[in-house]
Amino acid sequence: MSDSLAAIVRAILFILLALAMCGVIFEFAGYSAPQMFQSIVDGAFLRRNALEHALRWALPLFITATGVVISFRAGYFNIGAQGQFYVGAICAAFVAEWLRGYPAAMVIPLCFAAGMTGGALWALWPGLLRLRSGADEVITTLMGNFLAGLLLVYVTAGPLKDPSGSGQQASSRPLEAAYRISTSSGVSPTIIGIAVLVGVALWWLVNRTAFGVLSGLSGRNPTMVRWQGASTWKIGLASFLVSGALAGLAGTIELMGPNGRLAGGFLPAHGFTAILIALVAGLSITGAAIVAFFFGGLASAALYLPVMAGLPSAAIDIINAAIALFITARSRFIDTVTKVWRRPWTTS
Amino acid sequence: MDDVVIAILRSGTPLVYVTLAGVIAQRAGIWHLGLEGLMITGACATVVGTVLTGSVGTALSIAVLICVVGSILFWFVVEKLRANQIIAGLGLTGLGLGGTSLAIQSIFGSQAAVSAPAGLPRIGAAFGAYGVLSVLVLLMPLAVFLCWLLLCRSRFGLRLSASGEHPFAARSVGVNPSAMRLAALMIGGVLCALAGAELAAGSLQIFSQNMTAGRGFMGFAAVIFGAGHPLWATCAALFFAVVGALGIRAQLVFGDRVPHDLLLGLPYIATVFGVWLSARLRGGAKAAAGGFGELRDN
Repeated sequence: MSDSLAAIVRAILFILLALAMCGVIFEFAGYSAPQMFQSIVDGAFLRRNALEHALRWALPLFITATGVVISFRAGYFNIGAQGQFYVGAICAAFVAEWLRGYPAAMVIPLCFAAGMTGGALWALWPGLLRLRSGADEVITTLMGNFLAGLLLVYVTAGPLKDPSGSGQQASSRPLEAAYRISTSSGVSPTIIGIAVLVGVALWWLVNRTAFGVLSGLSGRNPTMVRWQGASTWKIGLASFLVSGALAGLAGTIELMGPNGRLAGGFLPAHGFTAILIALVAGLSITGAAIVAFFFGGLASAALYLPVMAGLPSAAIDIINAAIALFITARSRFIDTVTKVWRRPWTTS
Repeated sequence: MDDVVIAILRSGTPLVYVTLAGVIAQRAGIWHLGLEGLMITGACATVVGTVLTGSVGTALSIAVLICVVGSILFWFVVEKLRANQIIAGLGLTGLGLGGTSLAIQSIFGSQAAVSAPAGLPRIGAAFGAYGVLSVLVLLMPLAVFLCWLLLCRSRFGLRLSASGEHPFAARSVGVNPSAMRLAALMIGGVLCALAGAELAAGSLQIFSQNMTAGRGFMGFAAVIFGAGHPLWATCAALFFAVVGALGIRAQLVFGDRVPHDLLLGLPYIATVFGVWLSARLRGGAKAAAGGFGELRDN
């Protein structure tokens, strides 16, 4: 118990360190750091409707992050959630466009199936390259992100282009109103229901099934899993597919919920934030739910900053990046302190 | 023909510099995914520095200084705070991308592209059509040669590789692996600044947001493709540059018949192919130092 306490204290300490570094950067850039943090907190949690906005970003982030948790637990650095998210959204958009006019009860499930399949397939090729040939999945999934970004630009300017759209930004035709699962607020019982379902299912998968135990073990000690007679190959493939499908699901929700159409510059740093959430949560599903809410608040503040104080939304990117820089720090300092503090009880 | 070679040299030179930075870090045992962030910082500092001071030389020194400071920060986080290299590297990249956007926003009041009054010096009319290239292109083979000399033919290089491959052995003969990594990352910082400077001020004299477009990651892929050897990694980087130039060429030839955005993806596909091929040839990726196991165990 005290060990996990130390882990939490350490995470908070390093997040504070990251925020302090951001403060220095903001001061250098000519903004007042305290005022900046104040408006970020305002925008994230204190403003009217802020909680709803935070939840709007937190739900897809949570779903993407659970996927990242699955692949990281199995020991694969799948950092391609961004690309899998895009491809999922693209596939769902294609299905929605082809089946335009059919009843919503038929189209919506098909869109979800297409989105999850698309995301899973976009995770499958780096997974196969890794498992069959040993090609480093960090590079292949990263390149997959760039390729998916180009694919999105191509699709919105080509096959799915909205002919009536303005020249400003290429986008697809808006989805039919019946296919939307939320208004542009992005919070609806359907989406919350999906997030809860995903959370419960994944919690069960990780903590109560053989797959969860074996994938957790294979991340720590693949040799042992092989000696136990389990197939690391199957576990690896399954974790790539599940994480891709979840990112694709989040992309589908983003398309059919708040966005309602596919646009060129669609959620820039979503995958990266999901990685952060998974790491801050220490690769636990319940932790991810709490942390996703915090980062959802930051994401909603990012949109509020330019309006409120003329601050660039890059400020949030910097905060996220600084947290990423420090979050996996394992300095022994905290452990030493807690050990010294614990000594009277443990030695007596 | 000349214009194709010029295009390849132009797009290949920044890639080669950033690849050399990655090679030196790789030899010291660091998976340097912060290359992209350092590179864009170098690009931004060169252009903004030229606008503010009017002198390219001063701007370049500022860029080098900032990139070295960034490298020291990365070293501190990875080596002293024992953070995961891959995540910390991605964090450094994000810091570079976000920080440069914030910098041009706060200095110029908008996020539009910034153009500098002067670029890097050209190599001059004596080279005919090639005179439009910058001096950094001319220095590139020299940099590769020096890097090879440093890594493969010097005592320092041997110690660096020892620190990367077997830190315990290095420590037992009195080499401090941590200090060697600091040296490697600082040299890498200088090379990343040069890569950024060549990218932003070599031919265009313009800085725009996210202008590196994954070149730092491509450089890192070239390191893996080239097995951490400076010459092979340089060849890999030039291969990516050739594919990129061919993509642009194909665009001119095919016109609208092949989608433009898919041709832009060619270098990324080549990178994936390169990583796959090097894994086939050498059999399996080595796991990066430190998995995520420790996250759950503490």
